[in-house]
Amino acid sequence: MLAGGWRSGGAAPRILIVDDDPNLLVLLADQLRNDGFEIQTARDGEEALRRLDGGWPDLLIVDMMMARMDGLTLAREIKARADLPIIVLSAIDTADSKADLLEEVAEDYVTKPYHYPELRARIARVMRRLGDKVPRRELVLGPQLTLDLRRRSATVRGEGVALTPTESRLLYALAANLGKTVSTEILLDRGWGDTDDADPSYVWVTMRRLRQKIEPNPDHPVHLVTVRGVGYRLVSHGTDA
Amino acid sequence: MSFRARLTLGVVIGAVLPLTGFGLVLVGTEVARTGVLDSTLVRIVLFVLAAAIIIAVLFAYALANNLTAPLRAVSRAVERASAGDLSVRVEVAGEDELARLVESHNRLAAALERRNAELGRILLAIGETSPRDGLERLVAQATRSARSAFGMIDARIELIDPTMVPVEEDIPGESRPVRAVLALPDERVGVLVGHLPATRGWDAADQDLLELYASEVAVAIRNEELFDQVERQRQRLVELDQAKDEFLRGISHNLQTPLTSIRAYAEQIGTEQPDARLSIIVEQADRLYRIVRQLVATSRLESGTLRPAKEVLGLAPRVRRAWDALGASGVSFELEDDAAGWLAIADPDQLDQVLWALLDNAVRYGGGTPIRAHVAPRPDAEQLAVTIVDSGPGVRREDRDRIFERYERGAAGASAEGTGLGLYVSRSLCVAMGGDLMLEPPLDGRGAAFTVLLPGEPPATDLA
Repeated sequence: MLAGGWRSGGAAPRILIVDDDPNLLVLLADQLRNDGFEIQTARDGEEALRRLDGGWPDLLIVDMMMARMDGLTLAREIKARADLPIIVLSAIDTADSKADLLEEVAEDYVTKPYHYPELRARIARVMRRLGDKVPRRELVLGPQLTLDLRRRSATVRGEGVALTPTESRLLYALAANLGKTVSTEILLDRGWGDTDDADPSYVWVTMRRLRQKIEPNPDHPVHLVTVRGVGYRLVSHGTDA
Repeated sequence: MSFRARLTLGVVIGAVLPLTGFGLVLVGTEVARTGVLDSTLVRIVLFVLAAAIIIAVLFAYALANNLTAPLRAVSRAVERASAGDLSVRVEVAGEDELARLVESHNRLAAALERRNAELGRILLAIGETSPRDGLERLVAQATRSARSAFGMIDARIELIDPTMVPVEEDIPGESRPVRAVLALPDERVGVLVGHLPATRGWDAADQDLLELYASEVAVAIRNEELFDQVERQRQRLVELDQAKDEFLRGISHNLQTPLTSIRAYAEQIGTEQPDARLSIIVEQADRLYRIVRQLVATSRLESGTLRPAKEVLGLAPRVRRAWDALGASGVSFELEDDAAGWLAIADPDQLDQVLWALLDNAVRYGGGTPIRAHVAPRPDAEQLAVTIVDSGPGVRREDRDRIFERYERGAAGASAEGTGLGLYVSRSLCVAMGGDLMLEPPLDGRGAAFTVLLPGEPPATDLA
């Protein structure tokens, strides 16, 4: 159902799955093909890189723990060649010390054993986010505020502030449309697209928390501006402004 | 009696006594010759005596003053020196004993002043060395400081057995070799050798100071070695912790890989041809997965590598999902959501573990009785709470204190399934997320009641 729109819109999205467990490879390929994706598989990192030489997929799903080349190394290798979106499939959860490392090279990660509907929702979210391109690695929004979304951090008045995965996803969507209003619905989708639980209050509360982290005066925001009834806008106050 | 008073008295007595004797003899002789006491003569003698006493006193006082002035100056200088001011010098003309005394005081004060300055520089030098600098920098720094503090031409520190460094002969007129062993009570760390200008005086006190300095350097070197050792051990512990993390990651990966296939295949077949047995496979795979997660969490809590994310989430939907994931069919579950717009701040993965453990406990220990969950904010504490209650027998009084400890299973004892880690891990996870987990006091008509407290966010007013 999800891929139905893609089917009618043209070529099916191509996904390359890299996992050293053949059972999982066959099964996951099967599940995704049923949803209309065009699937390629690779048993290890080297095979994956060879397949990349034959053409780039729209998205990669990479297992973290593989015997020959681990997922992190492979993801770095892939990113060095092209900025392809990667979802890491692994036993790592959000509280793992390696989660931050993953965040740098992967667009998202899903814990094993995966629940297929959740995985599919995450794939859809990553695909939707492809339109969001943040021009620079570091985004200077003013003399007191710099964002480094790949590292999930901000520099506020010279001090580093850590952002949660959701906060950085929201900022990413806003930064890709710098100066323009992004609707609450889009932000809800970018931040919580993989769950049915969320409602707009999640966006509101997260924005309030973000303001406390990055705004000079959270009560009078100058960077994260509310557009009443519509959504939010990220505003840059460069030194030349 | 002061020195001045004694001197005055001495001179007076020395001058007046013979004169008095002479007067008495004169008067006595005159009385023997004439037979009468000539009052005029007596008056003359008494007058001369009185004049002599006055002159003697004045003269003696002047002399005593002249003699004691330099002594008083020395005494003042010594007093100021002992109070710490070594710059005062006493000036006395002449070549006599007093002048020599004053000169030797001046020399003493000068020597003390120089050593004081050296000591100051040495203390400064010792203070500058830090065990974090590394041995090489420490030795270089100590050598440099020794050279400047003692005014040496050259200096070096050898970290070898001192007997391996030959003792140089002191040839008059050439630069003077000095040497001090870097000694600790139990070990000789090395030796400090160097040369002084030939003109520089060097006595026992200078040598003492150099040896004191050398022993301070030895202590600094020992500290550096100990620091280095501690640092290496700390590094090793960090590596071991990482290895353990890596090992656990591997174990959980190796368990979760087959689980992933089992679960996914059962689920896939189940959608094609529904079968209750397939959903049991899915549920049991999930249960196994939760146990693996619990073990990983325990290990991370113990090594302090757990870093919960702080995400915004609604508590009631999360409780509902956790209940659905348990798949406890046949047990009634009622969820009451009074959050009134409050959202919780928690790590979704870790919160799921807590909710699974509590709901699973309620199912197992409640004996199939209805389970109720109630979500409500505690605005005063800026917290959001969920209380999970079963209608079973509750927690026995004697078990209440220890159910949060590791490997405890409460009333059901060892016969119950599970790791015995559930409540211990759950409470630790709640605390790590900035909240808490509590066992509520027993009430009639209800079983065990546990409350999860999490940091809460009040409803947003900034509606976009």
